[in-house]
Amino acid sequence: MSAVIETGGLGKRYRRQWALTDCTLSVPAGHVVGLVGPNGAGKTTLLSLATGMLAPDAGTIEVLGGTPGAGPAQLARVGFLAQDAPVYPGLSVADHLKLGARLNPGWDAGLARGRAGRLDLDPGQKAGTLSGGQRAQLALTLAVAKRPELLILDEPVASLDPLARREFLADLMEAVAEQELSVVLSSHLVADLERVCDYLIVLAGSRVRVAGPVDELLAVHHLLSGPRRDPDTLPAGLEVISASHTDVQTTLLARTSGPIMDPAWMVSQVGLEDLVLAYMSQDAGRRRRDHHPHLEVRK
Amino acid sequence: MIEFHLDARSGVAPYRQLIHQVRHALRLGLLREGDQLPKVKDVVAGLAINPNTVLKAYRELEYEGLVAARPGIGTFVTGTLDGGSLAAHGPLRRDLARWLGRARRAGLDDESIEALFASTFRSASEEDIA
Amino acid sequence: MIWLTWRQFRVQALTAATALAVFAILLAATGPHLASRYAASAITGCHGSGCQSAAITFLSQLQVTSFYPIVYLLGLAFILAAPAITGIFWGAPLIARELETRTSALAWNQSITRTRWLVVKLTLTGLAAMAVTEALSLSYAWWADPIGQAIDLGGSTSLFSGGRFSSLIFATHAITPLGYAAFAFTLGTATGALLRRTVPAMAITLAIFAAVQLATPLWIRPHLIPPDRTITTIDSAALDFGNLTATVVPGQPGAWILSSRAINPAGQTVSNLPVTCQAAISGLKPSSPSQCMESHGFREAITYEPASRYWPLQWTETGIFLALALTLAGSCFWQLGRRRT
Repeated sequence: MSAVIETGGLGKRYRRQWALTDCTLSVPAGHVVGLVGPNGAGKTTLLSLATGMLAPDAGTIEVLGGTPGAGPAQLARVGFLAQDAPVYPGLSVADHLKLGARLNPGWDAGLARGRAGRLDLDPGQKAGTLSGGQRAQLALTLAVAKRPELLILDEPVASLDPLARREFLADLMEAVAEQELSVVLSSHLVADLERVCDYLIVLAGSRVRVAGPVDELLAVHHLLSGPRRDPDTLPAGLEVISASHTDVQTTLLARTSGPIMDPAWMVSQVGLEDLVLAYMSQDAGRRRRDHHPHLEVRK
Repeated sequence: MIEFHLDARSGVAPYRQLIHQVRHALRLGLLREGDQLPKVKDVVAGLAINPNTVLKAYRELEYEGLVAARPGIGTFVTGTLDGGSLAAHGPLRRDLARWLGRARRAGLDDESIEALFASTFRSASEEDIA
Repeated sequence: MIWLTWRQFRVQALTAATALAVFAILLAATGPHLASRYAASAITGCHGSGCQSAAITFLSQLQVTSFYPIVYLLGLAFILAAPAITGIFWGAPLIARELETRTSALAWNQSITRTRWLVVKLTLTGLAAMAVTEALSLSYAWWADPIGQAIDLGGSTSLFSGGRFSSLIFATHAITPLGYAAFAFTLGTATGALLRRTVPAMAITLAIFAAVQLATPLWIRPHLIPPDRTITTIDSAALDFGNLTATVVPGQPGAWILSSRAINPAGQTVSNLPVTCQAAISGLKPSSPSQCMESHGFREAITYEPASRYWPLQWTETGIFLALALTLAGSCFWQLGRRRT
């Protein structure tokens, strides 16, 4: 499958601070990609670069094989839902759908009408008076009804109550199933993403910490606990993501290429949340340990 | 038409849970040959999970010979879980009771037995898949 | 995109239409009366110097009425304010509001480029601003025509004194309002694009536009086309003996006097009336003040633009403001293209 987003050493700077540094990704198509990271890690920056709202200061980015935001054809292939689902408060629901119809040659009016009907959105209601969940649904309708190949959502459920959140995600997944969309959505909560994402990117401190299919990542990361060990005496083929030591015990979250043979270790599965947290708390310095020959970031 | 549910905290992968529920429905007779499994888009709309999860579950069921996908129409039940497995339960239960007796005489407590069983079961399953 | 521009502009358009309608009603209610007053005055059928006194009479009588002065001043105020108002309320929010409310994320991720979005918005709204201002100007010019004609005949009162070259009249008639409207509008848009905040953009647009409007008649308009100079006799210049400035350029009816001064035979400026001539003003001496000054060898040096330069000045000034407007509009495209946030 070709990549929906391909970046090489991508970087973006605001005044003197780099919001995104040395970001190299190859995000495959046909997935729901979760972009996780703490606030300020660079998620919105990366998504803005992907939609062409921002231009890179370093490196390259290609979306669906084209330059982001470069012309109507490229814009038609990528749908975007910004944080907090901005809508025009003075325009009605019907006005927004008309906006979509007028500004998008690929607009599917039947799909839009059907969605709006199912969502019980009153066409005459001013968008400024909609609830947060309804606004998100309206914005999703706009993004989806133009029939894009890739849908990008920036923290779409962050400000929604649990019911609205579930309904939104369910709706999004239905659209993915029906239209065979690729999706990239960002969140600072792993719980939102666990159900829906099958590809994970962790951003922390303006860098990509890990990227890969969720199944694979969960299969190669394990929690190891055993008697206290010196860091230098750890088995080879083990890339330690996070470690904690007491006087008698060592607990590691590690990435392994093969099975752990040493019976002194108790090996258990890692949950997605623990995995993400471990990578997010990683320092750049601790990553560069000499005797871990494996790549730190997998494409 | 059966309806799926998901236990997010069970530690069992979602696609496995779906497979279990289909097999369970087959065993109970809720699903018979020729019945259609819920459409992928309906499953994800109800559960808010990734469509690939459902596809993976349906593919594995197809690999096991229990269902068949008809492109553009849906996925339909083609096989049954026959009672043959029920007949094997008796001897298996007796073997298990004997093994449990041996484990206790070796000095393992309940938690050790469970841990031993769980890890062996997991690695055996992984070998099966691989 | 045209639909979206209109839909977002609807309320402002209705406000402008209402204001225009009110203005039109006001003018239509009083205009014909003004015209018939003019026709009934002594100006009709006057000749020579009798016309000037007839014009003065007409205007003086007009000035003491209750509403003609009000409409006269209100109209001028409207036309002067219109570019500022459209610049602040139509121009400043155009880009700034979209960025502030982040609806730009919605608008610029449909299947049209930012360039196309801006082209349509700028052009349609800008043209509307220009049309509104010009409509005000043209309808006012129709209404005030009798007054303008009376002033051209030499009539002048404290209120009705501006000839077509005077600051207020030049800025509110012919085509200069188009230039100002375009300039104010694009100034608002560009400021909004730069500051990304609507309210500060509105304030700064107002400040800059007001400054430019004050500076133009003082420092810019007089230098647009190099003026002519002449030295004439005191008598033919019809001096205002209070400040020794000419009120007429001989042989150049309707000229715009930029500056004038009385000079002595050596060419130096005479700032005060000689003592001996002051008595002539009060009529104590048999000779007129002009004869008195000329007997001293004084003459008048006048810097002026002839009447024929009216339209070249209008075109030049409008052209400059339109060019500024185009530059500002271009800067908006550049701002959007930079894609900083």
